[in-house]
Amino acid sequence: MNMQNPLAQVRGKGSSGGGSHHWRSQRYSALILLLLAPWVLTMGYTLAGADYAMAISVMSYPFNAGMVIMLAGTLFYHTQLGLQVVIEDYVHIPTLEFVLLLIVRLACLVAFLISAIAALKLALGA
Amino acid sequence: MSSSKRPMSPYMLGPYYKFQITSLLSILNRLTGVFMSVVSAPLLLCWLIALATGDVAFTGLSAWLGSILGKLVIAASVFSFSFHLFGGIRHLIWDAGWMMEMHQVNLSGWLAVIGSIVLTLIVMGAGL
Repeated sequence: MNMQNPLAQVRGKGSSGGGSHHWRSQRYSALILLLLAPWVLTMGYTLAGADYAMAISVMSYPFNAGMVIMLAGTLFYHTQLGLQVVIEDYVHIPTLEFVLLLIVRLACLVAFLISAIAALKLALGA
Repeated sequence: MSSSKRPMSPYMLGPYYKFQITSLLSILNRLTGVFMSVVSAPLLLCWLIALATGDVAFTGLSAWLGSILGKLVIAASVFSFSFHLFGGIRHLIWDAGWMMEMHQVNLSGWLAVIGSIVLTLIVMGAGL
């Protein structure tokens, strides 16, 4: 779905260089997280104070493993978008800003990869 | 950006402006988001890693989560989750173009505050 103004498309992107992509991505990821919130609360209730065997058995369900991967992907993407705005708003030293943005992107990517691998390992019973 | 000596507008939450719930909740939404990014999400990741690593790691993390500091971090995370959830819903409603009148914005603000406190109490009371 392209919601860009046709003129903006012809001339390249908006003044920020990214058009409305960042804004829309933040909203779409927020909507997905909103849909996942009931599952997150249910998991919190189920796993509060759970011992190892109990936690292993809950996370071995394919449904829960899939939801963990979905949550991690959306959550760390939303996290990256949000921290990016905060850094752009408050860090005014260009080099530091660039380095921080790079660190946030890398950290969120690595966090997602580790979450996905852990969820798969638990689901496959390795 | 070069540092200029031009005068700046006073900070919105300082003593210079009348208290407004809108500005307070705006910065609180950002603060809860940053808190979850820096503390809560990494903690969830640690929990998942510990579980995938083995019994010893998981039991060790569980013990720490049961300590006073652990419980405090969990409580702060639950409140941040709750507030960011309701604050986010407000933003999505505004994005749809609804509830933009001042009295509606103030009302939804107080609803978000009450809602997040109630949700935090329910979740913490449910045994977390």
